[in-house]
Amino acid sequence: MTLQGIVVLNLIAVALLLWVANLVRRGALYAGYGVIFILVTLSVMIVLSIPQLLSLLVRLVGAVFPVSALTLLALCFIVFMLVYILTQVTVLSNRLATLAQGLAIQQAKEQAERKASEAAFE
Amino acid sequence: MAIPAHNEAATLGEVINRVRASTPEFDLLIVDDGSQDNTSEILKELKVVTATHFCNLGYGRAIQTAVKYALSLEYDVLITLDADGQHNPEEIRLLFEEFFAGGWDMVIGSRHLTKKSYSDTSFGRRIGMLLFSVLVKATTGKRVYDTSSGLRVIGRNVFEPLTYSQFVDFHAEAIVYLLRLSYRVGEYPISVGRRVKGRSMYSALSHFKYPLKTFLMVFLGIVQASLTRRGNRQ
Repeated sequence: MTLQGIVVLNLIAVALLLWVANLVRRGALYAGYGVIFILVTLSVMIVLSIPQLLSLLVRLVGAVFPVSALTLLALCFIVFMLVYILTQVTVLSNRLATLAQGLAIQQAKEQAERKASEAAFE
Repeated sequence: MAIPAHNEAATLGEVINRVRASTPEFDLLIVDDGSQDNTSEILKELKVVTATHFCNLGYGRAIQTAVKYALSLEYDVLITLDADGQHNPEEIRLLFEEFFAGGWDMVIGSRHLTKKSYSDTSFGRRIGMLLFSVLVKATTGKRVYDTSSGLRVIGRNVFEPLTYSQFVDFHAEAIVYLLRLSYRVGEYPISVGRRVKGRSMYSALSHFKYPLKTFLMVFLGIVQASLTRRGNRQ
């Protein structure tokens, strides 16, 4: 990989780190999700800085060029994150449904009790 | 008795009045599944006990809310009925009697039991109904002719297992789930009218989405039933 490519990728990684850190600081991104991005970005920066490590990664993935290996890994990461985010959305949607059901049942119970007491009064 | 309703203002009032007239001794619960029309005004006017979801959760969740309500108030039986006015409330009592006479855990009001064919429905629907019926037979060994009927009598025995799983439509997947848990599910013939007011909950897209979703949910229902059985054994 050319020096220019390594520098550009490192600059992008630093920008991403700063962005994620700022989002976590402002409470706009859950710290647990922020940690995933920080770990992955730091790993990429380490691989880019050590040529032997980058060559090893290219050989392991079976790629010809370092750029192809990094693209493949980035795609895998995106798919992984997509599935992970969808599971988190589902968990939240289930919690919301349980909450909505609980509230609805409580409300119905109160109405039924009121109705029963009105009937008893009459 | 529970009626799930989502934007059914056009028919709900009439259905409630007919239900009250035919079975006045049964407690009635309407599950308003986040309706955005004037369903809530109609329910207030009719002074009926209502469980209102603050957002739309879907038909399966609405039925599950009714099951949870029945479980918490220790009812022996829950009858579910569609809000579109297609069911005949006068037949509820027959279904209710069959539930006790047959010793069932759930009885489904079936539109196709007498003829044992789907000749009175549209071609697309006929294929779907046959497919789901065969699917239930293949996965449980029992033929159920009307898997998508909304008129059901559900016994107390199955209230709790029905709260363990999530059902999208509470159709074939719920039947398979209960049968795989060795509960007794039966059918009783009913007549069903055509929808004259309001809109069906099934859009054009759902004709493709629904079968795929049901296949997935049936598979998951089998898995869930195995997990529930294992949990009960432990």
